[in-house]
Amino acid sequence: MVHKARRIVTLVNGDENRPAQGQHTTPLTPRHRIYAALLVPALAVAALAFAACGATPQTTLEPTTEAARTARDLLMFVFWAMVVAFVLVEGVLLYVLIRFRRRSGDELPAQTHGNTPLEIGWTIAPAVLVVVIVALTVPAIFSNARAASPDALQVRAIGHQWWFEFQYPELGVVTANELHLPVDRDVEIQLESNDVLHSFWVPSLRGKLDMVPGRANRFVISPEQTGTFLGQCAEFCGTAHALMKFTVVVESQADFDVWAETQLTDRVPPASELAREGEMTLTLGGCVACHTIRGTDSAGILGPDLTHMASRGHIAAGILENTPENMRRWLSDPQGVKAGNSMVIPELTGDQLDALVAYLEGLR
Amino acid sequence: MATLTATAPDTRTFSGTAWSWITTVDHKRIAVLYLVTALSFFMIGGVEALLMRLQLSRPEADIVSAERFTELFTMHGTTMVFLALMPLSAAFFNLLVPLMIGARDVAFPRLNALSYWIYLFGGIFMNISFVAGGAPNAGWFGYAPLTETNFAATHAIDFWAFGLQILGISSILASINFIVTIINMRAPGMTLNRMPMFVWMSMITAFLIIFAFPAITIGLVLLVFDRYLATSFFLPAGGGDPVLWQHLFWVFGHPEVYILILPAMGIVSEILPTYSRKPLFGYAVVAYSGAAIALVGFGVWTHHMFTVGLGPIADTAFAISTMAIAVPTGVKIFNWIATLYGGSISFKSPMLFAVGMVSMFIIGGLSGVMLGSPPIDSQVQDTYFVVAHLHYVLFGGTVFGLFAGVYHWFPKFTGRFMHDGWGKVHWLLMLVGFNLTFLPQHMLGVDGMPRRVHTYATDMGFDLWNMMSTVGAFMVGLSFLIFTINALRSIRHGEPSGSDPWDGGTLEWTIPSPPPVYNFAHIPVVDSRYPAWDMKRGGGHTGAVATAPEADAEADEPDIHMPNPSYWPILLAAGLVLAFCGLIFHQVFILLGAVIFGISLMGWIEEPAA
Repeated sequence: MVHKARRIVTLVNGDENRPAQGQHTTPLTPRHRIYAALLVPALAVAALAFAACGATPQTTLEPTTEAARTARDLLMFVFWAMVVAFVLVEGVLLYVLIRFRRRSGDELPAQTHGNTPLEIGWTIAPAVLVVVIVALTVPAIFSNARAASPDALQVRAIGHQWWFEFQYPELGVVTANELHLPVDRDVEIQLESNDVLHSFWVPSLRGKLDMVPGRANRFVISPEQTGTFLGQCAEFCGTAHALMKFTVVVESQADFDVWAETQLTDRVPPASELAREGEMTLTLGGCVACHTIRGTDSAGILGPDLTHMASRGHIAAGILENTPENMRRWLSDPQGVKAGNSMVIPELTGDQLDALVAYLEGLR
Repeated sequence: MATLTATAPDTRTFSGTAWSWITTVDHKRIAVLYLVTALSFFMIGGVEALLMRLQLSRPEADIVSAERFTELFTMHGTTMVFLALMPLSAAFFNLLVPLMIGARDVAFPRLNALSYWIYLFGGIFMNISFVAGGAPNAGWFGYAPLTETNFAATHAIDFWAFGLQILGISSILASINFIVTIINMRAPGMTLNRMPMFVWMSMITAFLIIFAFPAITIGLVLLVFDRYLATSFFLPAGGGDPVLWQHLFWVFGHPEVYILILPAMGIVSEILPTYSRKPLFGYAVVAYSGAAIALVGFGVWTHHMFTVGLGPIADTAFAISTMAIAVPTGVKIFNWIATLYGGSISFKSPMLFAVGMVSMFIIGGLSGVMLGSPPIDSQVQDTYFVVAHLHYVLFGGTVFGLFAGVYHWFPKFTGRFMHDGWGKVHWLLMLVGFNLTFLPQHMLGVDGMPRRVHTYATDMGFDLWNMMSTVGAFMVGLSFLIFTINALRSIRHGEPSGSDPWDGGTLEWTIPSPPPVYNFAHIPVVDSRYPAWDMKRGGGHTGAVATAPEADAEADEPDIHMPNPSYWPILLAAGLVLAFCGLIFHQVFILLGAVIFGISLMGWIEEPAA
């Protein structure tokens, strides 16, 4: 078969004068300028992109744990390896396209069919590259799956449509949408789901891990920097998937202990007449069916625990800053703020809203 | 070499009454039906994409509601994969496989028509959901338990589940047809080793479909059991496991990626040699690497599930198999570049699209290597990085490749050229717009923007990239508008192309454009990979092609027996889809559909085949 093909080739080429190569110094035609003009912005965007990550609070490129740093380092290494491969391959492609463009209508180039050594060579080249990447990847996979140290803080994170519940079984603390962690200590987080798939993702702490109903995923991290970090559900979980966020507050062990202590207390009793009215409205209305406010009759478990809700930075799962105005907005139109969510609330009068907001903002 | 003829092309193959189209079993007409239908769905999927891009053009926009947005991304993905790109590939299988292997039709012409009608009705069935209570809204991947009745009480998911089953039937029937055609109906002398590369890729794709679709078929059956019969295959409360769905879906879903890309690779493997006037470099390796990609492609599915928590051993194994795919993929690209090397390259619009495919697919492949590393994937999985990656593969790769094919074989369909200048405008706008759309999305992903979000907050640093992306998307939209006008105009007013406008090397260029109903007046005898080149350049053997195309066209209609038209395929398809409608609307349709199906089947069997 191959012999036949070759024979035909020689027949075809026998009377052809192959144009001598390497003698053409034609200046760039407009078409080639277009190619060049395309490559430059492409590279520029890539460079700019990786340079302009300062203003992005949820970036994966500013790790504050070993796990996130491992992922970032691997990402950057493979990225640059791919940039080199990109420039080489696209460069050769562009060169070939320009160099071997048709110059006259009747030339017939050499009818090459293949070159075994060459083909073996470019089979081995990508193989070597991916072997290197695998060699760097495998240790990282296992270090990301490391076991917790014996004194690790245990946390259960439970996904709900569309908010996060956090429990500290050893401490007895239950809270929502704002995870507090002590710095420089192992934390083992167990991920569960109450309904559909969710994913727990705080880019600066670690890559994401899914919250799967019926399963319990675990990972261990040791936060190295104090501060507030943004997290977001990363697995599509229904209509309000985009509005399922949370924050992680990493603080000193002392601050963490104070926080946990506070969380364990009953709610702060209403400080004003208005707030007292608010508590009445809340406990007599339907709210108790879903929300817990320790120290009152409110003990529902379907929605977030509100006992210390005023201590949290955000409401409605990380999407609104915790201000009286936003609280008012949320209470008067929860479906407008987060379409599809399960919060059922009757139409409230202005007075009722004032009272509720005053009460809830006092739940420090 | 055939010269351009000034006379208008003979359009008998493609003219005729509506009835003749409804009953046609001619693979070329079915190809046209596939092409027109797939491009229409492509436009619908494109409009869905533009609506999403509008909503995401700036933070906290309120152009599309959250509910509508979930429908849009679900239907965009489903439409593009099942209703646009796969059928677009099927259009090329239909047009080209018989012509390239020197056959007069496919092995089962009526089955071929049936595949098309099931596809058309299935596509309509799925899109009816928009006006019948809400479109599917759980993503094209439909992860349980979001698809279960307690989270999706309406029929939206049923439209999706039954729609995919219907389309699966169509795809499997078509694949069986093309495998039998390719294996049994090649012209004398066309060994597997002389088959055009497009036919190779068509055959591998058909095998992929046959082996991959059963996995999703089973998954969908279990899902429908959960929804209709209250079983708990994917519900943990009843002992089921939502991760089972993910395995079943991706055992199908990953090979599906290769189902979408291999035909485009086949097209490019025909176009690059033609426009550089050189045979494909490393033919055997290109064919085998296609087979290797297909084979290994069945062993990489959990790289879509690196964040599910399957454990470090599973992640390692699938990272290695995923990386391994980079090797045959790289080999293909190097062979394409080597095909161009030393060639005499002409940059007609088909070639520009083919080169665009190669250069853009490279980017998708490289970002794929990044995603194949689980620690990297854990950060960028389910973010816009993946959106960018998959579009570099399926748009940069598949769409560029398929449009290269449309420009290249348009003269074969119609006997006329598409306008080359406007083709180049289309290409440039699409290339720039495509990169403007998807290059910034890499950065969005790395900066922490998840996928499938209908909005994002102002202070996240996502604004600029999203605006760029939206502007790019509308440029792409404009480029397709230009394409559509160009194509519609060229059908009637394009410059006549003659039978062989590009100096092609494969058999379809040896017959008139459009081809006569019987394709080949005399079945050619083949003794090389590029029989048409041999004939034109005088280097081949005397028996390569018995007659010149012009002689064919002028000859009297030869007495060639072709299969009769049949209305049973469309009726059978209607019965089938009607029965599925019964599962959603009213049970009476099940009975009605079954009766139509049964009668059609009997009629089909009794009908004289030819």
